[in-house]
Amino acid sequence: MSMLELGYASFPILLLMIFLRAPIGLAMMLCGIGGLYFAMGGSNMFMAKLKSETYSTFSSYSLTIIPMFLLMGQFATLSGMSKALFNAAESWLGHRRGGVAMAAVGSCAGFGAICGSSLATAATMSRVALPELRRYGYSGGFSTATLAAGGTLGILIPPSVILVIYAILTEQNIAKLFLAAFIPGILAALGYIITISLYVRRHPDAAGTRAPVPYPERIRALLDVWPVLLVFGLVVGGIYLGWFTPTEGAAVGAAGTGLIALVSGNLTWKVFVDSILATAHSTAMIFFIVLGAGMYNGFLALSQVPQELSGWVIGQGFSPWTVLMLILVFYLIFGCLMDSLSMILLTIPIFFPVISALDFGMSPEHVAIWFGILVLIVVEVGLITPPVGMNLFIINAMDRSTPMVQTYKAVMWFVASDLVRVVILVLFPAITLFLIP
Amino acid sequence: ADVTLRMHQFLPAQASVPKNILDVWADKIEAESGGRIEIQRFPAMQLGGKPPQLIDQAIDGVADIIWTVSGYTPGRFPRTEVFELPFTMTNAEAVSRAYWDLAQETMIDDDFKQFKVLGLWVHGPGLIHSKKPVESIGDLNGVKLRAPTRVTNSLFSSLGATPVGMPVPAVPEALSKGVIDATVIPWEVTGALKVSELVKNHTTFGDDSLYTTTFIFAMNKERWDALPDDLKAIIDANSGAEFSAFAGKQMQMDDDGPRQLAVDLGNNIITLSPDQVAEWKTAAQATTEAWVAEMDEKGKDGTGLRARALELIEQYTAN
Amino acid sequence: MERLARFMAIVGGLVLTFLVLLTCVSVLGRGLNTFGHSDLLNYVSKSLADALIATGVSPVNGDFEIVEAGVAFAIFSFLPICQLYSAHATVDVFTNFLPRKLNRLLIVFWEIVLTAVILLITWRLYAGMQSKMANGEITFLLQFPVWWAYAASFAAALVASVVGIYCAIARVAELISGRAYMPHSEEAVH
Ligand code: NA
Ligand code: NA
Repeated sequence: MSMLELGYASFPILLLMIFLRAPIGLAMMLCGIGGLYFAMGGSNMFMAKLKSETYSTFSSYSLTIIPMFLLMGQFATLSGMSKALFNAAESWLGHRRGGVAMAAVGSCAGFGAICGSSLATAATMSRVALPELRRYGYSGGFSTATLAAGGTLGILIPPSVILVIYAILTEQNIAKLFLAAFIPGILAALGYIITISLYVRRHPDAAGTRAPVPYPERIRALLDVWPVLLVFGLVVGGIYLGWFTPTEGAAVGAAGTGLIALVSGNLTWKVFVDSILATAHSTAMIFFIVLGAGMYNGFLALSQVPQELSGWVIGQGFSPWTVLMLILVFYLIFGCLMDSLSMILLTIPIFFPVISALDFGMSPEHVAIWFGILVLIVVEVGLITPPVGMNLFIINAMDRSTPMVQTYKAVMWFVASDLVRVVILVLFPAITLFLIP
Repeated sequence: ADVTLRMHQFLPAQASVPKNILDVWADKIEAESGGRIEIQRFPAMQLGGKPPQLIDQAIDGVADIIWTVSGYTPGRFPRTEVFELPFTMTNAEAVSRAYWDLAQETMIDDDFKQFKVLGLWVHGPGLIHSKKPVESIGDLNGVKLRAPTRVTNSLFSSLGATPVGMPVPAVPEALSKGVIDATVIPWEVTGALKVSELVKNHTTFGDDSLYTTTFIFAMNKERWDALPDDLKAIIDANSGAEFSAFAGKQMQMDDDGPRQLAVDLGNNIITLSPDQVAEWKTAAQATTEAWVAEMDEKGKDGTGLRARALELIEQYTAN
Repeated sequence: MERLARFMAIVGGLVLTFLVLLTCVSVLGRGLNTFGHSDLLNYVSKSLADALIATGVSPVNGDFEIVEAGVAFAIFSFLPICQLYSAHATVDVFTNFLPRKLNRLLIVFWEIVLTAVILLITWRLYAGMQSKMANGEITFLLQFPVWWAYAASFAAALVASVVGIYCAIARVAELISGRAYMPHSEEAVH
């Protein structure tokens, strides 16, 4: 069996393992290790890789943002802050049909504006919004799907770890990419809210009802948001004004929320321990997946599957728009299986030169920015497409009472909303490039 | 192909070092071997790991051929730092030749004993890129900067700047956000990092060079030993002193484009006068002395290394 | 065993909290340092600016390296509780159609494989530590030996291995005896 064949053969094997209940990170890791074993005819390669790769994955400075934001989310939850944010959104939107879900999306967007990671946004806002959704009679699958989709706003609305990586791989300006992501990010949130209203029209029993909140109480709910605004303002403002890097922002946010929790008297030793334990669960789960994805992607790169595929695409002599469409479809398909960050790292060095060589009737910089945002969105769709959607796993792990299949069914509505948005942004590049000078 | 070798490095394929140096080398070997050697290229750390792990990947056989910065793993190649000392560098071609020779004399059986060395070179003159103009050493006072090597780091600390640690890819964002006020890299790297768009001042040192960085281009020892003699001969013919000199020269030539970009952007390119440079050299002396003392203390003959390096550099620069 | 896993997670959490505070101190130090050098403060009061600089406020040297070493230790410390509480992400869509007995067999099987992989990781981490000890690699700014960081992570990984072995044995025992030994066994969920 050639290495290329081994690479192709690894997909069905990975899927089979995952469908047979293997922990997802473990399945990727086993495929990576197994692939390297057969490709190299021995264990030397994976044994050598494991010597340093576990440590280097776990010690990654840029990924430190994940446990720090998770801890911040814990503190924010415990001090009632992320709850206050959600309550404010809920008091204004909650009485509408599907309003609590809309509020969840809205508060995800707010949280996404300070968090560069989709997984952290999904995990943090789920902790706040999931119990509320269930309390007001929203069905399990609809609730988890809403939060999985809302979580993707974490990488779509700047700052975004994925965009930083893209900017570096393609030598583009990070600030311009962040600016370009802004309007598509707002469109995403609006799209999800429209999706929710359509979904509850189609499935009236998937959402409960609640009485409208009187206006004085709504104002009070807004006023309760002040610590949120304070910390969010400090973190967002600090990152945008250059007081600190995103990872430092996460640390400031975690310390700030911790301090507020301490001052409000909510932070006892027991509460502190509980938030550490919850952070520990999610962090270990996420990093184990990142580790497995790293091993698997190392093997895939070695087998040259991505290179072969892109070579084939160029060889067909298609028009620029066909190639773009093929690449986006490629990401959508691979997004069903792979980790977004590793996927970007693996494919952008291959696809970007292809796209740069094509004539879309725009300046090279505009093409690069526009393509980056489109890739960001399709990769983000991958986080919520079955069977392997990181956000789905994370939220489902938090709500064990909801069977995965229900989440899968409901999330397809949000995937459809994402696809509509991708089509709009492909057809009208001006939307993405509107804020770019 | 009879032999397939995996070449792994940290830059994107279209960056100038892979494009103008590594690919040129690999293409030549593939052609001269009549297709018996195939060199698969894995840019941007595609085979996994972080850049500091590249050298271990070559040692352990995760990759067959790697290109890395020797300073990515401080403490492992201490002797290479002799070329990174302030104002030691003259031009990249000459210093690369000196680096190759000194390595043959002092490093090949020690620092480099775990792998087959294919090429050793340095980049063009390193310089300061800053938001506020830096002319005198006093201008560095309180400037937060990212220094590229262990040596430059202690140099700038001693000159009153505040070094901030971060990986290279974080530099553009840190500059744009004001997390750092300045960065120290050669022109060649400013292109990829868009530094000229983020800062307006560039301090050059006339005919002198503030510093340079040493690179290692290496191959796994077992893969090398297993090659048939005729293929070894083809690789050897394209590697070594001449290839190192070519790579150093090419990197310095690749400084021109990004430098012109800064000129076109209307940036302030400061050229220090010989008198000003002399002040910098005096101030930097302490760093060099400290390095020599540290190496002497570790039993690595810092004094001898420094003397021999200067001798070789002078010899090749004069040519 | 649960106490050991909890203890490890709390130690990891305290390290994480320390890193958060360290990063904040570094940000604050950098901010004050910049302020001390700013034109504004020097214009308002030169002596105040000089006094501020004289206190030596600056970013924490090598904060970046401490964060990298610390967060690796923290994540290794978080692994035991994740495995003990079966918190690793899985897909149960397809297996839900299979008989319950088979499902339990699959859970035991993957638990054993997971433990085997954690043992492998721990062993390789030890090998990595040994090679860092041998080659004298140090960090960039603080220049402490890199193997120290590996050693801390290795200690945490050892605990993860012990907990992993316990989990694997407990799962097998559950399968045989039908009783629950793990905090979140199949019985506890449904
Ligand atoms: Na974000
Ligand atoms: Na997916």
